[in-house]
Amino acid sequence: MADDKDVLRDVWFGRIPTCFTLNQDEVTEREAEAYYLLLPRVSYLTLVTDKVKKHFLKVMRTEDVEEMWFEYEGTPLKWHYPIGVLFDLHASNSVLPWSITVHFKNFPDRDLLHCPSSSVIEAHFMSSIKEADALKHKSQVVNDMQKKDHKQLWMGLQNDKFDQFWAMNRKLMEYPTEEGGFRYIPFRIYQAMSDRPFIQKLFRPVSPEGNAYTLGDLLKEMYPAAITNDGEQKRYQVVIHGIEPLLETPLQWLSEHLSHPDNFLHICVVPTPSD
Amino acid sequence: MSGCALNEKEFFSCCQLLLQQSEHLRDGWSWEAVQGSEEGYLRKTVLRSVLADCYDAQKQTETASDSVSPVSAHPIQELQQQERTQPVVATCFHSDGIIGDDGDEDDAVCVLSEGSSHVLQYEYHILYSCSYSAPVLYFRAFTLEGRSLTLEDVWSSVHPNFRHCLQNSPLTAITQQEHPLLGQPFFMLHPCRTEEFMRPVLQEAQEQPRPVNYVLLWLSVVGPVVGLDVPLKYCTQLHLSSLQHSASDLMSSTVETGVRRFARKTCK
Repeated sequence: MADDKDVLRDVWFGRIPTCFTLNQDEVTEREAEAYYLLLPRVSYLTLVTDKVKKHFLKVMRTEDVEEMWFEYEGTPLKWHYPIGVLFDLHASNSVLPWSITVHFKNFPDRDLLHCPSSSVIEAHFMSSIKEADALKHKSQVVNDMQKKDHKQLWMGLQNDKFDQFWAMNRKLMEYPTEEGGFRYIPFRIYQAMSDRPFIQKLFRPVSPEGNAYTLGDLLKEMYPAAITNDGEQKRYQVVIHGIEPLLETPLQWLSEHLSHPDNFLHICVVPTPSD
Repeated sequence: MSGCALNEKEFFSCCQLLLQQSEHLRDGWSWEAVQGSEEGYLRKTVLRSVLADCYDAQKQTETASDSVSPVSAHPIQELQQQERTQPVVATCFHSDGIIGDDGDEDDAVCVLSEGSSHVLQYEYHILYSCSYSAPVLYFRAFTLEGRSLTLEDVWSSVHPNFRHCLQNSPLTAITQQEHPLLGQPFFMLHPCRTEEFMRPVLQEAQEQPRPVNYVLLWLSVVGPVVGLDVPLKYCTQLHLSSLQHSASDLMSSTVETGVRRFARKTCK
């Protein structure tokens, strides 16, 4: 029987086969070939696409190259969202490989954050971890860590080192036994067609009576439209790391095992594909 | 108010109070609600002129550390001739003295002369962070042509006393973030230290005891860091009796303490 720890590995090593194509309007010295890459679900676009940049720069002049950004079917892709979240949200029911268009001009600064260096990605990643711990432990665990411990979390992600990352991250997944779980669950619910980028609110994993809340309980409270009522046709899929967990799954378990390295549970609500 | 944390209901009440006062003072704050719920944020737009010579003069009188400004005053696109048919009176950013000098806003008004001014539109949002049980300040700025200001441009509007500190402390620094309700890039002053620097400020105010508006108090500490002025008249409104004078004393001394503590904490 699969161990809970196997789930952690499966989550960490999830990959999405992707095809990068240069935007047609970019000025090139010769035809640019598409570039294929397996993207880690748990990482960030700007962290893992140095090879993509190098590949396309070979056919471009430096004066035509500004900050690189990515787009899928007209939608600029937010590099600060985990790659797996972007895929589940925008392309989960399309044919693989995922086709992403690469741009080097006209950066959409009303839609996308700038990413001038990897230290910006690191700052963003650490900021998410700290926010998650503020919710789980009133920041006590993350504040007790030393600078080198924080660095270990980041280096683990940057270098795809599961053991290095989890040696430190397991501390962020602990809780007092008598509490039955974290103080609040760090989560974000995304819906592609919404004006609002995500829903994030306070939600406890355990009821005052001591009962474990489930994924279904969370959705009922935060996004009732995502739940299908008896007799209705299923309108939405609730996707985490590309799968649809049972709504009966305890939220605390999901938070410990299906969170991203940033310690947030990222939940995508997407329309059920019509066959 | 539970300790020095602020819950969402309290945030909402504080904002409504601030709004009432803002309307009375014509300070320009509005409430943007989310889908007819109590969830929402305070919003204010300010036109600011960054005068090149005004800025340079301030740099010369700066007696603070020898820290070099991270960027020189960026030449922002000049206004088109057509856009200015007459001299415009706008708020000039002053860096000498935070708030509490004499509260005389007339000091801050200058007449622009052609060729030396850059008018910018700053938009400030105050949101509630449930993760940190604190208000958070988001802002963005555009030239009148609609060009977004970069982080480098924005640094030049940060009070010189804070620039050095903020540079060294990433988590109280100004970073670009996605606005949680609008999804667009904004700059944000990180909220994780808010409870820390608000605690002594609140305790001092509560020792009186006086009614305290957490959001207003917080704003008067963090606002000046990013050039957002909070007129002293906000607190004199709280007291309609002869206690007016001492209330503003309390506010200015409390705020000065808060600002000093904020600066100290961010420099760690």
